[in-house]
Amino acid sequence: MAFIEIQNLFKQFKNVVAVNHIQLEVKEGEMLTLLGPSGCGKTTTLRCIAGLERPEGGDIVIDGKSMLAEGFVPPAKRGIGMVFQNYAVWPHMKVYKNIVYGLKLDKVPRQKIKERAKQILELVGLTGMEDRYPGQLSGGQQQRVALARALVRNPKVLLLDEPLSNLDAKLREKMRFEIKSLVRRMGITAVYVTHDQAEAMVISDRIAVMNSGNVEQIGKPEEIYERPANRFVADFIGTMNFIPGEVVRGVEGTHDIYVRTEFGEEMVCKTSDMAATTPGKKVFASIRPEDVAVFTEAPELGDNLFKGTIAHKAYLGNFLYFFVSLNGNMIRAQVPHHLPQEEGEELYVFLNPQKCMILF
Amino acid sequence: MSRGNFFLAALLWSIIAFLVLYPLSILMLESFKIAGTDNFGIGNYLGFFQDTYYLKTFGNTLVLSTLVLLTTTLFGIPLSYILARYRQHGKTVFTALILLPIVLPAYAGVFAFIIFFGKYGTMNLLLMDAGLIEKPINFIYGLHGLVFIQSLHMLPFIVLSLSAGFTNIDPSFEEAAEVEGASGFWRFMTVTLPLCTPTYLAGAVIVFLWPFTDWLTPLILGQLDFLPSVAYINIAYHFTDMQRKYMGIVAVVVSSIVCITLFLLARWWVERKKYTGLSKGTTSEGRVIDPSTAVKVGSYAYMIFIAALVLLIPIVLGLSAFSRRWVFEPFPTYWTLDNFRVILMESPLLIKNSFLYSGIALLFGIVFGLPAAYLIVRTRVPGKDALDFVITLMLAFPGMAVGVSYLLAFWRGIPLAQYWIIMPLALFARRLPYFLRMAHSSYLQLDVSLEEASEVSGAGKLRTFTSISLPLLLKGILVGVVMFFIMAFQEISTAIFLYRGGWETLPIGIYLNWHRGMEFGIAAAMAFLMIVITFILLLIIARIGGGILKAAWQSGGK
Repeated sequence: MAFIEIQNLFKQFKNVVAVNHIQLEVKEGEMLTLLGPSGCGKTTTLRCIAGLERPEGGDIVIDGKSMLAEGFVPPAKRGIGMVFQNYAVWPHMKVYKNIVYGLKLDKVPRQKIKERAKQILELVGLTGMEDRYPGQLSGGQQQRVALARALVRNPKVLLLDEPLSNLDAKLREKMRFEIKSLVRRMGITAVYVTHDQAEAMVISDRIAVMNSGNVEQIGKPEEIYERPANRFVADFIGTMNFIPGEVVRGVEGTHDIYVRTEFGEEMVCKTSDMAATTPGKKVFASIRPEDVAVFTEAPELGDNLFKGTIAHKAYLGNFLYFFVSLNGNMIRAQVPHHLPQEEGEELYVFLNPQKCMILF
Repeated sequence: MSRGNFFLAALLWSIIAFLVLYPLSILMLESFKIAGTDNFGIGNYLGFFQDTYYLKTFGNTLVLSTLVLLTTTLFGIPLSYILARYRQHGKTVFTALILLPIVLPAYAGVFAFIIFFGKYGTMNLLLMDAGLIEKPINFIYGLHGLVFIQSLHMLPFIVLSLSAGFTNIDPSFEEAAEVEGASGFWRFMTVTLPLCTPTYLAGAVIVFLWPFTDWLTPLILGQLDFLPSVAYINIAYHFTDMQRKYMGIVAVVVSSIVCITLFLLARWWVERKKYTGLSKGTTSEGRVIDPSTAVKVGSYAYMIFIAALVLLIPIVLGLSAFSRRWVFEPFPTYWTLDNFRVILMESPLLIKNSFLYSGIALLFGIVFGLPAAYLIVRTRVPGKDALDFVITLMLAFPGMAVGVSYLLAFWRGIPLAQYWIIMPLALFARRLPYFLRMAHSSYLQLDVSLEEASEVSGAGKLRTFTSISLPLLLKGILVGVVMFFIMAFQEISTAIFLYRGGWETLPIGIYLNWHRGMEFGIAAAMAFLMIVITFILLLIIARIGGGILKAAWQSGGK
């Protein structure tokens, strides 16, 4: 059951298309993240949902009510709460005034406002801070004020625009979980914008990966990571080895494809779309560094075992990172255990056929 | 700590001590002098504050200040909002016109409005000719006229500071209010305007202090009961009456103290509450709005109205400059170049003096200002903050205080006032901050690593300054140079106390010709000439880069 429906949304600034006819659904109680590089249209999409931008085409339906097609619904009437990238906590008002600003405008009775403010302050852990000015708060506390203000009016939808990007790394990690559990507890539908893939992975029920105004893929974090729809998604989420090659043949009745790689040898990969991988087609055999195994001596493994030279070796604490050159094609391998080989020495690389995927 | 910097600081301090601190302390001292004796006491002040007349002038000035501030704020808020937020054609032109009074001498405005709005001025004559009124309306003689003329002159400061606020506050503050359900007007009142108060205040204090500084406008309008005008009359006309002379000096000191105190208070408050630029990068393009047609038409009408009032000044002065016998006619009928002939034939000296004194003052300004800016921005020499502070304070000092203090200090003890060099020196001291602020702000924008790279490459401090810093600062410095020159060129409050026969400058010539009566045309022609010169200089600034100019106005507060 879709709670927010984004239908064919189109928005451009001057001549630059920011959002290119996208289609998106957010389920009730779900936390959906719009993830993508800067300029991909994620923030613009969020601002369209908020009503801070007026799109040129398409419609947005929230809880069965059209926001655009039947006349523009202003932000205040959409039943949303929003957390801004820079918090936008008004510096000339005390915490309490910041939080109850919207309630007062809603003409909520005084006693009710007090109760509600108390509740929400407790919820975000700011009890006792009512009389402080934002300037007297830390970044994390200001963030909580912004969150409290966004939630205090019991919105149907919570919109978060890169809310953690101004916090330092440690606090950011902590707040991810806090926001997630808070939103869960309130059972509120949330749309979250970020360019940080790790943040998206942790916080989201589903992720929509965006690129230059389009939605490239929507899915659960593990789907996006394990079965990226295309090169862009695979490259943006995590690290991926792309080995250019040409399809030789498919194996009847399986998902296996034989690919002749640029470095001259054949390898087996899985494909999700047998029909699209006709012989002669240029593709990328793709595998994550952690799925690459390396061996000092040739093991008995059959397919996808290649001999290469170590170009770089890096020690990263919990694992080793190898750049192995296969006839000039560089393969990254993430290895959990120590290997004595040094740069310039030879090594066997095993690209697990079960984990090798075909991307275009 | 390099010894060179130390030496430089000592040198600059001694210049400040001699040209600023010494004369101002003599002024202070003199205000405590008991008339006719060599003793000191607080008698003068007691006399001043016990005299109902002086108390009244003090009160009048406060009332005038309040009214001017109210008027400029009332007119300035919509104007700044339109200029800062609406997407409109011709915005640059309107901004330039509305800001114009900053660089026009205040007395030019007074003359123009007397001619246009006076008892038998153009407006009244037109209205009477049209049969709309029987008797002329008193448009400008009185408090209301003072408020009108001073407000128009000071409006740019409010517009500059408020529109800076409207432009620079983070758009998401207002968006957050929008999401929370605040409608346009309510949002403006509860979020936008309060967030702009610090920047507003920086301009407001300048506006509020103007009536404590401007002696000439009330004088020309025949409204004498204001602090600076009384001070001027007492000191310039009644110097033989010891009582009045000392009351005048006390009035100058009182005005100065009011100015300095309020200026410092405002600065302190603004520093404490700086809302603009509080948060980091934003994603949207800012809050530039496409207004509806009705609002658009209204805002154009409003801008045109204000711009027309400003434009009246050069137009009316121009009409007056190129005509004679413009009396009892709405527009001149006898066109001539006589006024200019008189100026050029009889008093080319005035023009020469003006250029000479302002030029020398400018030279002093550069020679002092560049090292001072370097010292303040780039070194940690002890006392450099105090130096900056003293120089900045000169922004708030009434010109009359500088003039009177120079008169007192350099008359007997150090008899500098007997030589013409006193004129450029006084101009230099008076306009000191103008060049410095400009050099200062462009220095701040210059990345220090550019200079460090030069030093690492083996260049000495001086060589780094001449081959790296100076070329990069040039734009800002040039704007500062022109601005300083304009301000020195127009200066009258200081010069009026110091000039002697043969030292008259153009502003003094304007004043004297007006004072003489009957020679209004010549005064107008001189004022017109001055506006033309200012315009040419402004064009130069615009060529060099107006952006820096605006930035410096805001950072300097004036």
